[in-house]
Amino acid sequence: MNVPVRLGPAELSLIAQLTGAGASGEAERLAAAGLPTRKVESYHYTDLKTLLRAVPELAGKAEGVSPPALRVAGAYQLMIANGVPQESGTAPAGVIVGTVEGSVLSTRDDVLVRLNSALVKTALRIDLDGSVDPVIQIDRRTEGPAAHAPSAAKIYVGDNASAVILETYSGSDAAHVTNHATYLALGKNAVVTHITVDLSARQATHFATNEYVLAEGAQLRTLVIHAGANVSRTHLFPKFAGKGAHADVTGLNLVSDGQHADITMDANHAVPHTSSKPLFKSIARGRSKAVVQGRLVVARDAQKTDAKLMAQGLMLSDEAEILCKPELEIYADDVVCGHGSTCGQLDEDSLFYLMSRGIPKTEAETLLVRGFLAELIDPIEDAALNEALTAVVDGWLAGK
Amino acid sequence: MTTPMLEIRNLHARIEEREILKGVNLVVPRGEVHAIMGRNGSGKSTLSYVLAGKEDYEVTEGEVLLDGVNILDMDPAERASAGLFLAFQYPIEIPGVATMTFLKAALNAQRKARGEGELSTPDFMRAVKESGKALSIDSDMLKRALNVGFSGGEKKRAEILQMALLKPKMCVLDETDSGLDIDALKVVSEGVNALRDADRAMLVITHYQRLLDHIVPDVVHVFSSGRIVESGDKSLALELEAKGYAGFDEQAA
Repeated sequence: MNVPVRLGPAELSLIAQLTGAGASGEAERLAAAGLPTRKVESYHYTDLKTLLRAVPELAGKAEGVSPPALRVAGAYQLMIANGVPQESGTAPAGVIVGTVEGSVLSTRDDVLVRLNSALVKTALRIDLDGSVDPVIQIDRRTEGPAAHAPSAAKIYVGDNASAVILETYSGSDAAHVTNHATYLALGKNAVVTHITVDLSARQATHFATNEYVLAEGAQLRTLVIHAGANVSRTHLFPKFAGKGAHADVTGLNLVSDGQHADITMDANHAVPHTSSKPLFKSIARGRSKAVVQGRLVVARDAQKTDAKLMAQGLMLSDEAEILCKPELEIYADDVVCGHGSTCGQLDEDSLFYLMSRGIPKTEAETLLVRGFLAELIDPIEDAALNEALTAVVDGWLAGK
Repeated sequence: MTTPMLEIRNLHARIEEREILKGVNLVVPRGEVHAIMGRNGSGKSTLSYVLAGKEDYEVTEGEVLLDGVNILDMDPAERASAGLFLAFQYPIEIPGVATMTFLKAALNAQRKARGEGELSTPDFMRAVKESGKALSIDSDMLKRALNVGFSGGEKKRAEILQMALLKPKMCVLDETDSGLDIDALKVVSEGVNALRDADRAMLVITHYQRLLDHIVPDVVHVFSSGRIVESGDKSLALELEAKGYAGFDEQAA
């Protein structure tokens, strides 16, 4: 029964780093279990033992920074460089920026959550109150030679407050392994848009865990975009903790030849009368893999939960692979929950129709792909932000 | 003699192993409106798709000359820029693409292909508004995704709007009357008639005579078993309506 796990170089590096950080308990746990393989359900399609061949040294101080990956006109910029929150400019009205020691995520039996909690020393903390006008951009960078960079942010949005938060991940062109965490709590009736865009270097491996807690009446829209790293995975944990809370949890995997992207969601409808509308899309070209796992858990008391999960995939090549796994785990008996999944290629008839009006093939394909994504981008109301995200998508489409 | 706008010579086409067009010959001079009538399944719609360049069909023999230029080697977009327009029997719904965005992309693509400059946004808006007005197309409809949730009448009006904007040399209208009530049929026909021009030709495909009361053709052709079996003036349409297609099938055999 107790066959010792054969540890690879990635695991050995991580164990040494945990030990160095004084987290010997976590080090022992990792030594015993190893990185998760496809046998661990939540990593079934993203086998870390295979995908993570090596983990570089923990990041040192960032020396010089690369240009911002995404500029949004009028945004208030905050930066975390190589895991360390940086000094920021004067905060706009309703925004308090500071730091907090230790982990930001709730304790979970998840290796990336454990690593983040054990290795992050100082997290960025933001408190938002009232109607925050500018887009708050958290620009997370990993600079210099290949590094392992855990980072974290804890954001509190007050009752009745509203804000748009954009997180971008980028850095130098090196084989970084990043592990980012965000904890975002929404007060009563708070209205928040939270967008995370991975624009890491192509050699990089990007991990992110976003945890959301929604109080009564809170309205959340999220959008995860994977458009950078060779391997990317974002794990979303929305928790509906107050009556009337609603979230549009959305995400987009954009993968090209050789890439692997994974959006995994574990939504927790914990109380009665909450709703969610998770919508995830993937576009894959070349020999690539996109993964969407969506799990809706409805607690025994969470009557009148209304949750609909949708996963859609668009395959632009014969070698592309898109894997969608919806799961419903419902303990209440008076709910409306459902899930759907569709996958396919660009519709030939639509393509012919557009071309018959003189639109050349490549342009017609782009129009159709944009049409496929419109549901995700159109709801972003801030014009500058909408434009910036459209540019990310167009940039990916124009690339090979 | 001037070059005809459309000349089809001995056109054969098949889908997979089934031959559908079996030697179509047709000449449509510029300025004229020709009608093709035929029963369901005679290959009329196939002819329109083959002209527009749909990939599913394989041309095995023959030529199609648009204003003297063979278009069979062109892809659908090139044919459109060369001046061919197909009004679809069933216009395709394109979710997520606003009608306005699509119209602008189409118009500018064709202008670019012909070496003309792009239209400025105000000029474009003006052109759309003008053409839209005659077809009772309001700005709300133009903001919606292309053909998504449009009624049958709205879809056909949108097709004619595209035709008016793109100003093709050769219009092929495939069963434009299908799915239209009499009022919508009038609006659409008036839209088409407004585009009749000495430098433009039209091929109207239908299996009902009633469309031809509104769009009066110069020549009527009867289509049966994959080719044209009879041609005549507009009275031929009335004869068909009275006798049915059966009398013409023998001539095809």
